Amino acid sequence: MLQFIFRRSVGAVVTLFLLGAVTFFLFVAAPSDYASLACGKDCSPQRLHDIREALGLDQPLAQQFWNFMSGIVMGRDFPTGHCNAPCLGVSFYSGDPVWSTIMDRFPTTLTLTLGGAVVFLVVGVGAGMLAAYKRGSMVDKVATGASMVLSSFQIYFLGPIVLIIFVYSTGWMDNPQYHPITDDPIKWFTGLLLPTLVMATIFTAQYTRMARSSMIEQMAEEHVRTARAKGMSSKYVFFRYAWRGALIPIVTVLGIDISSMLGGAVVTEITFSLQGIGRLAVDGASHKDLPLTMGVMLFGAFFILIFNILTDIAYAYIDPRVRLS
Amino acid sequence: MDNNRQVGAYANMKSFTSRRARAIVVAIAAGSLALTGCSENKGSKSGTDSKKDQKEASVQSKPVTYVDAAGSTGPAAEVPGAKSGGTVQVYQEAGLSHLDPGQIYVSDAGQVANLLFRRLTQFQEDDKGNVSVAGDLATDSGKSSDGGKTWTFTLKDGVKDANGNAITSADVRHTVERQFAKFIFDGPPYLQTWLAGNKYASDYRKLLPGGGFDGKHLPASVLDTPDAKTVIFHFDTARPDLPQTLAMAGYAVVPAKTDTKESYDKAPVATGPYKIASYKAGKSLVLTKNTNWDPKTDSVRHQYPDGFNFTFGITETTQTKRLIADQGDDKNAIQLTGGVESTQIQDVIGNPAVNKRTVKGYQPYVMQLSFNLDRVKDIKVRQAITYAVNSKSLIAGEGGAYGGDVAPNYFAPTLPGYEASYDPYGRLKAPQGNIAKATEMVKALPAAEKKLVFAYSNSEAGQKRKVAIEDALTKVGFEVVSKEVDSASYYEQIGKLANPYDMYITGWGQDWPSPGTVITPVYDPAQVTDGSPNYAHVKDPKVKELIQTALTQDPVEAAKTWKEAEHYLLEKVVPAAPLWYTKQFQLSGSNIGGARYGSVSSLLDINRIYVKS
Amino acid sequence: MTTLTKTEDAPAPTGPESFLSVRDLKVQFSTEDGIVKAVDGLSFDVERGKTLGIVGESGSGKSVTNLTILGLHSPRSTTVEGEIVLDGKELVTASERELERLRGNKMAMIFQDPLTALSPFYTVGRQLSEPYMKHTGASKKEARDRAVQMLEKVGIPQPKMRFDDYPHQFSGGMRQRAMIAMALMCDPDLLIADEPTTALDVTVQAQILDLLKDLQQEFGSAIIFITHDLGVISTMADDLLVMYAGRAIERGSVREVMREPRHPYTWGLLSSMPRLDSDVDEALTPIPGSPPSLLNPPTGCPFHPRCAFRDEVPGTLCTDTRPSLGDGRAAACHLTAEQKQTIFIDKIQPRLR
Repeated sequence: MLQFIFRRSVGAVVTLFLLGAVTFFLFVAAPSDYASLACGKDCSPQRLHDIREALGLDQPLAQQFWNFMSGIVMGRDFPTGHCNAPCLGVSFYSGDPVWSTIMDRFPTTLTLTLGGAVVFLVVGVGAGMLAAYKRGSMVDKVATGASMVLSSFQIYFLGPIVLIIFVYSTGWMDNPQYHPITDDPIKWFTGLLLPTLVMATIFTAQYTRMARSSMIEQMAEEHVRTARAKGMSSKYVFFRYAWRGALIPIVTVLGIDISSMLGGAVVTEITFSLQGIGRLAVDGASHKDLPLTMGVMLFGAFFILIFNILTDIAYAYIDPRVRLS
Repeated sequence: MDNNRQVGAYANMKSFTSRRARAIVVAIAAGSLALTGCSENKGSKSGTDSKKDQKEASVQSKPVTYVDAAGSTGPAAEVPGAKSGGTVQVYQEAGLSHLDPGQIYVSDAGQVANLLFRRLTQFQEDDKGNVSVAGDLATDSGKSSDGGKTWTFTLKDGVKDANGNAITSADVRHTVERQFAKFIFDGPPYLQTWLAGNKYASDYRKLLPGGGFDGKHLPASVLDTPDAKTVIFHFDTARPDLPQTLAMAGYAVVPAKTDTKESYDKAPVATGPYKIASYKAGKSLVLTKNTNWDPKTDSVRHQYPDGFNFTFGITETTQTKRLIADQGDDKNAIQLTGGVESTQIQDVIGNPAVNKRTVKGYQPYVMQLSFNLDRVKDIKVRQAITYAVNSKSLIAGEGGAYGGDVAPNYFAPTLPGYEASYDPYGRLKAPQGNIAKATEMVKALPAAEKKLVFAYSNSEAGQKRKVAIEDALTKVGFEVVSKEVDSASYYEQIGKLANPYDMYITGWGQDWPSPGTVITPVYDPAQVTDGSPNYAHVKDPKVKELIQTALTQDPVEAAKTWKEAEHYLLEKVVPAAPLWYTKQFQLSGSNIGGARYGSVSSLLDINRIYVKS
Repeated sequence: MTTLTKTEDAPAPTGPESFLSVRDLKVQFSTEDGIVKAVDGLSFDVERGKTLGIVGESGSGKSVTNLTILGLHSPRSTTVEGEIVLDGKELVTASERELERLRGNKMAMIFQDPLTALSPFYTVGRQLSEPYMKHTGASKKEARDRAVQMLEKVGIPQPKMRFDDYPHQFSGGMRQRAMIAMALMCDPDLLIADEPTTALDVTVQAQILDLLKDLQQEFGSAIIFITHDLGVISTMADDLLVMYAGRAIERGSVREVMREPRHPYTWGLLSSMPRLDSDVDEALTPIPGSPPSLLNPPTGCPFHPRCAFRDEVPGTLCTDTRPSLGDGRAAACHLTAEQKQTIFIDKIQPRLR
């Protein structure tokens, strides 16, 4: 297992490097750059040159790329001071180190993601399992119907409605905002409650359907029938035999969902005017802010790779066929 | 979509990344909300409102007067009913690009700068909207001699920075000198260029490459500080507008001892009534009272609220929703540079309780269809287009009467010298265009000249404009080929001298209330270069001559020359068809008092507001 | 000898010696398309220590019958009528809880494909121990000892080590042995083997069959052996039930049915079965047509659309009237006994030799 993790980690680092290279050169190849954008309307060649120099864009491409990549490992010096490793450069637009900007925004996204995950795992998977267990019952029909309706909603549809109800017309809740948990755990909880619930609602619906259908699928498996033929109680069979197999698709999707959410819940963040990683990514791209975009992209890719490995480890834990082959 | 604000984004002469980038973010946000059916027209009241706005604008456009020492002494006249205390919430879509005064040129940072930084001079506005220039750090608006080539300023007593250190002439000198440093590149270029004069016209930085940081200073023949209280500027040509130039945020004082160069952009030292308590770029900015600011030295600023909480990343759509709803903290909220989002304009004006919380007025921008004179060489084509364009449908796309007004000429209502009735193409009578006349003119044109290439930005606003332009021109017999341009690099693309387009919509507004800040950058034949705002590539020698004359004249004489230049351009050169004036429409919370439109900022006057309870 | 009594509508009284007695069993599934009559009026008995073979094509209802005996049908969409009596206990009306106590304990099942029938997630040992602990209240240790013992009994080498292996670490034959061991953990009185050798190599098949026979002798269980392979059944079973379209169409001892089959469908089955001693170039004779839809079964004799001899029956008897299966040695066919004998001797037997 350790060897597996080591092997995968090395692969992840290589992938990150390649991703960085591809992003960098795609960005550079784009028709307009930050300097000419920043230079604005009364741009003169002199002014453009100054901006390029100030941003380090006058250096050869390979040099720029090397500076960026080596900065991640070794840190870099900027006119504004030393940027400690992992240095993802300094944002063209704000002049702040990208890493500290990401770290500043990450708690918002992390709170959303983890809060949402708790809700959609507990409620979504729970409801799905209950529906599968009581297949055909009223409970099943309600759960299936509700998840059908809710999963066809979108965050940008549900979000504004929730805002109108709970914030704009009644004032029951404040505008969603992130407060550090260390400052005030209650505000931390209430501040992101609406966006977390709205995001989780959509996911809950999806997880309900997924959990239900995979449980039903598993219940039809022959080995589950064998377990029943041995006289094991249906509850036991449901939670020991069927559940184990149903976990695999759930874990797969969960890994993808969580890693992409940690890389930025763009729609949720924009809908609720939150300053998370997703918003940062959008801002970086629209400002043609190369260091910020690269930083956020690599940060997101890091999670995707990490969760890829975690998902594989989870597979091995769940399924001995994976573990022992 | 918020067309009105997007106009601002494209029109703003000071506007670079932050504003244009903001437009993109707005587009993404609105797209995700799936808002359809962007408003076509905003109400039947447009006529009356426009007239009222124009009346207000006529005040806005009065020439600026220079104020003496008595008028520059604080404290500022109290705002009626104002109270101290409370915290104002400020909402803004995109983060500030800069906080280093030398880098500030855009209006969002400019608004913040009005709370934070003092300059040699500052604009002062009375209850009627009359704008004057008073002394800020200086005792008055400056004394000129030597035919306007030399300007002398004397510093007030008792002005300190947030650390409690007195501001001296050395600090002012440092502020000027650091403009030449390489890390200052985003601010206004006027003062540096003027000081550098003809000798360093190609690159003003050569006058002081070290920016004053290497022990080398500007010679006394350029900038003289004979004692701690006196600052003297010497130019090689008359600079009658200097007091207005120095009132720009970009020339706010940076106390020499506090300068941290590149890092100053994150943590500048305040001299105004507020100072920075915390700043997270692109996320939040908290201002608290600066106890070292002495109201007795300031004739304009107030210090009513205890502080300001800026939250960035709130889209105009959300800002408007929150302010209409007026719940909780939103009662104490204002918009920084954003306005009422255009699809919600009806919700605002339709509700008297909300409508009374608005401020509105003209922005300094004139939107026009610029012709590439290198390609559209026949003046008859340009005239025919100028007759044909449909201001009405274009304005409808900008949010209607609250987004813009028909522009009959090149001067905005905010500009001294603005003539409301100067309308050589009959635009006011027929805002949809003079179809008959245009059709007739087009008939007489050779077939090859009827085909036109129109560049438009691929933003939502740009798409609407494209439709309006295509419709109007096709109707009179032109064949329009529209070419889409990436909205982020729109101005970059059309700013190229060798661009492959015949016409494009551009906007420009004054840097301070003088036609010189419009005619010179936009039509000066000396400025036909890549990236220059002379998008039409005007090379007419008579225009050049008039500009040169006006720049050296005193303001009264110059006004006549500018007017002559404008009339000559619009009637004899036709480098662009005037389309519409952009307007500002902002909303604030019910607990905000003292809100009024600031003519200079074209935004809510942030120095006067207070929290009611 | 098992008493094979059957009347179509009036169930015969359960003989004292029959351990399992199925009477007029009807199993119906409601599906989107309508009601599927998977089993339609089936009756049979099995005696302790004996083996009943059930043959028939896929979909003939043999597997459904046996799942129903264990109560493993889905209760939502299935209706069961008739009666199933196991050692005096009525199963159709029994509660799920009662059935749970019987399953794996008094009656056990061996499934066709040991790869899919064993859970990939748990060790073989755990899967063996579970029912033992549940049914006997044994400790983990005792269950382990028992499982190791059973693994050894079914011929798995080094059973102590293999106890902790997962099914995928076993070969196909070993897995089926483990499956059999699992079924025998609680020493069941009734063992249902649903095509237990179909998924295995031929060489392994024979070993498994031998194993089953040996174990039956040792444990004295009754076995229901389901297969579509007549070759297998002839070596395993005492009695034989031929099923078609959810019904029994012929019954008798293995010897009787194999030697002297009386139903055209059974003839077809035998003709289509390859024999070791047949000529290589002699073609097998498949039964023409395909099994009937149970949603909408043919009227009269369900086999009539495929029957080569329906012309021998006068009138429209075959298409109108469902032939009944008599008691004991019987076949549900409208042909007269003489016709059957003549046709068999003249037309069928030559093909079988």
